[in-house]
Amino acid sequence: MQFVFKQRQIALAALAALGTATMGTAPVATAAGKTPGKYVAGDFHNHTTCSDGILSMQKLIKKATDKVETPWGLDWFVQAGHGGSGNRNCTLVEDESLSTPDYPFISGKGPTTTWADSIGAVNVKGNISGTTTPLNTQANPSMWRWQSIQEFQYPVVEYMSALKGVPLFIGMESVVAGHEHGSMSVITGQMPSALDSATLPASGPYSALGNATALAKWSYCFDRNDGDTSRGGGQGWDCSVTGSLNAADPSWSATAAKLVPATGTGTGVRGHAKTVEAVKWMAENAPLGSYYVPAHLERAGPFNPDGNNGYNIEHLRDFNNAAPMVAFGFETQPGHGASADRGEYYPMRNNIGGVLVDSVGGTTYGGTGVYGAQIGGVWDALLGEGRNYWFFASSDWHNRGQFGPDDRRSTQDFFPGEYQRTYSLVRNGSDKLRPQTVVDALRSGNDFSASGQLIDRLSFVACAAYRGEETRRNEFVEAAALAAAKNNTSVNLPGCATVGEKLVVRPGADIVVAVVVRDPSVASFSPYTFDNPSLKQIGISQPLNMPVLDHLDVIRGMVSGYKQPGSADYAGQWPNTWLANPDLATVPAAAKNASAAVIKTFNRTGWTSAGGDFLKMSFRIPAVTATQYVRLRGSNLPAAVPFETDANGNPLADLVTNASNLANLKIACTAVGTTEFNGCPAHMAVVNGQKYVSYDVAAWSDLWFYSNPIFIEVSGAKVVAGVR
Amino acid sequence: MPTPISVPSSADAASGGAFGASAPAIKTRPLSATWSSWLREPLLHFALLGGLLFAVDHALVGRSDDPHTIIVGAEVDCEAKALFKASRGREPTAAELKALRERWVDNEVLYREGLALQVDRGDTAIRERVIFKALSVVDANTQLPALVDARLRDWFERHRDKYDEPARYDFQEAVLSGDNSEPAVRSFVDALKAGTPGDAQAGLRVFKGRPHANLLESYGAEFAKTLEESAPGEWRAVRAREGSKEGAKEVWRAVRLEAVTPARPAAFEALRSVVQQDWTDAVMAEQRTAAVRALGLKYKVKLGEAGR
Repeated sequence: MQFVFKQRQIALAALAALGTATMGTAPVATAAGKTPGKYVAGDFHNHTTCSDGILSMQKLIKKATDKVETPWGLDWFVQAGHGGSGNRNCTLVEDESLSTPDYPFISGKGPTTTWADSIGAVNVKGNISGTTTPLNTQANPSMWRWQSIQEFQYPVVEYMSALKGVPLFIGMESVVAGHEHGSMSVITGQMPSALDSATLPASGPYSALGNATALAKWSYCFDRNDGDTSRGGGQGWDCSVTGSLNAADPSWSATAAKLVPATGTGTGVRGHAKTVEAVKWMAENAPLGSYYVPAHLERAGPFNPDGNNGYNIEHLRDFNNAAPMVAFGFETQPGHGASADRGEYYPMRNNIGGVLVDSVGGTTYGGTGVYGAQIGGVWDALLGEGRNYWFFASSDWHNRGQFGPDDRRSTQDFFPGEYQRTYSLVRNGSDKLRPQTVVDALRSGNDFSASGQLIDRLSFVACAAYRGEETRRNEFVEAAALAAAKNNTSVNLPGCATVGEKLVVRPGADIVVAVVVRDPSVASFSPYTFDNPSLKQIGISQPLNMPVLDHLDVIRGMVSGYKQPGSADYAGQWPNTWLANPDLATVPAAAKNASAAVIKTFNRTGWTSAGGDFLKMSFRIPAVTATQYVRLRGSNLPAAVPFETDANGNPLADLVTNASNLANLKIACTAVGTTEFNGCPAHMAVVNGQKYVSYDVAAWSDLWFYSNPIFIEVSGAKVVAGVR
Repeated sequence: MPTPISVPSSADAASGGAFGASAPAIKTRPLSATWSSWLREPLLHFALLGGLLFAVDHALVGRSDDPHTIIVGAEVDCEAKALFKASRGREPTAAELKALRERWVDNEVLYREGLALQVDRGDTAIRERVIFKALSVVDANTQLPALVDARLRDWFERHRDKYDEPARYDFQEAVLSGDNSEPAVRSFVDALKAGTPGDAQAGLRVFKGRPHANLLESYGAEFAKTLEESAPGEWRAVRAREGSKEGAKEVWRAVRLEAVTPARPAAFEALRSVVQQDWTDAVMAEQRTAAVRALGLKYKVKLGEAGR
């Protein structure tokens, strides 16, 4: 038989190779009566072969949670592939070592085996996109994500959670109508308490006790890449949202019972409107059991009214206005940290109306997108309204670039937990970690994200101190913060607020701010032991796997109240010229907060060692009269490290460590070793025989942490919405 | 047996041949002239050369590597076993080895089909790989000149700036929060001189051993010059540029030079092995560039519209 490649097949192969307003308030625990909890690390954005990753569900879960073979194992984990569809069965394991009684290794099969070759094409449900023709009329159908989640992926997640005793649930990286991507989940039905006492069957197939039907339905209803019209393969799903136009909306499809916006001119506008409906649906159907966090939101450039590109600040406001308890943050520190273009952000990445446009900001800044990294930028603009809008980081794991998944080197991604870790204070008391308490923790804002294990404990507290109150001395608050940090929790004292909370004070109060961090003296998860080449530039010898926190900045911004939809300062696009001219004067008023600034910087001259790798520090904000917030960032890099930080300690553009353009590379890597790990490794970018900091070495060289803010609301001044 | 080429005789032509007398006279050329004309025909050259090339290619390739024959040699088994053992810690079973062979054959089929379809064209990664391999061939043909101590020492002297230890400056910055105007910084400096602690406002940044190039890059030339000429221990208000770009915003900073570590010239003897390696790398790079440029002489480089 003659086998001939068709043009379309080649195109598909190439694609495969490339790939890959009702304002409400969000409840947050009050200072009094908080359920005790600990900070735990997790990840909610990563991929398997069911979308465009390279691993099975089981192998990814093992890589992300095993604390022995992969010491970066996380405390909780959300598996979340792309919405849409895929033709590979990610529930089939790679080899015998991943076999479990209910999901054994099948010789000749693996996670790249198609659904057709595993469950049979006839069992694939739903219709061919935009038609009423059943998918199972195709020989090799791609299964809609809704079916894959509902019938195959969720049962594996539940089974693995019970078998391994690790807190897991399933989410999705939605392909967003009107925009690029968003991390989300609806946890309704997942991991029921009955699972606690369940006995797992000795052989498969595993029949789940819970379900991810709500998430599956959301995927069907709102993911841009879900073109199915079958209403859930006969489940009769209806995607209506109470109080919305639904069937009266011109985009409504009666057959599919969902919004199917037309393509062409206005695609972005119509798509965004659909996504606002999506978060409203979550607020209606799972108000405390869902989250919606735009992913790598600067990557695809600014918002494109006629396509599906990035997000401007007004879109984040729209989501937060529509569902403040659901759309409470953004993933402005993207994954893909070892990529040739860090975070996969790069100049002229996006074709918008025939014009090549940069990722917003042109690149990342110390691994963080410009929306989160720029003091006084988009994040500060949102916080400056008093919004609950939180910073998150994720791995976006797909693969390890030119290396296999078990290699420690990477030219593309890090495993969940290996490089970026988001720590959330889960208030679960004596109970185990459950999806609900994890989502509650994400929503609370009591989170911080650190790369490269720069810090692994944080206690950040602000307390009101009135004249004559002797107990509110700095050292008292510092001691409380230290005790909390040592217990891996946050301060719980009347008259004090911690991360994500609001401290209400009378005008004239002093605010005592105390910070305790743990800068672990043990080796990080970096496989490299040679000296950090970036620090080498300024004469500091520090092994890449032994990073030291150099300094910590306290950033303050003033709160000026919510921007009203339709007002001149509600909407505004970050300038496309930022890379060439990074000047806040070029940013529209809607997207900046000019009051935000570093008000205190601590380093070894300002903090005190508290033993056990803990560092403590405090200061006072005297006599506050206006509502404001304080947040933290820190780095292993001092101010004024060439090509890494400016003289004020701000991260510089990562373009100079992006291997995609050798002409931009600036930081030489000169360490000569005997292995790939004790000297500059062979895969680093080389120019004229000289290796330059790039790929994973660039990421391990340039570490940051960010905390969410503490709001200080002055009575009679601007009100901080949403937080108590 | 080849079909002979039939060429009309001069006699037939002269008599009108089969067309008879009534036929119009055909103007003919002598045989030698006709042959000569055919032999000058470019199409014939193309056909003959093409045929020759095909025959040579068939003879060579047919003997050594028939494109439609895939040979699974011992080296395939060897590599498969090594990879398997590295990942699983044991030798593959016969069934596993068979599966690995099948995977290899599948990949080989895809590789050959892909090449036939020229899917490598326009692929930057493949281009880079081929460049790398070609460069390896070039490198293999480069030869270092004899290593003579005088030559090495001369090279070291010409590149001394790479080895000399530059002067390094320890300094502190008393950070203000917000207002970095000249009056605000000068006022703060006055307070610092009067005994206010350096971290009284937003904190104290401490810099150790920063060389001139770093000062230039991060603060600009004026700041570097002023700081370097300062008396140690004295707080000063110094104008600085925000970054290395011309036209960058200027701010004022409150800084104090703490100490200067003078520049130290490098000693050749102490660095001989390092210098030798650097010299080797540099000479190899020069030779590589020269070799590539020499290869490039046979190419005519034309600038497209965008390149002009």
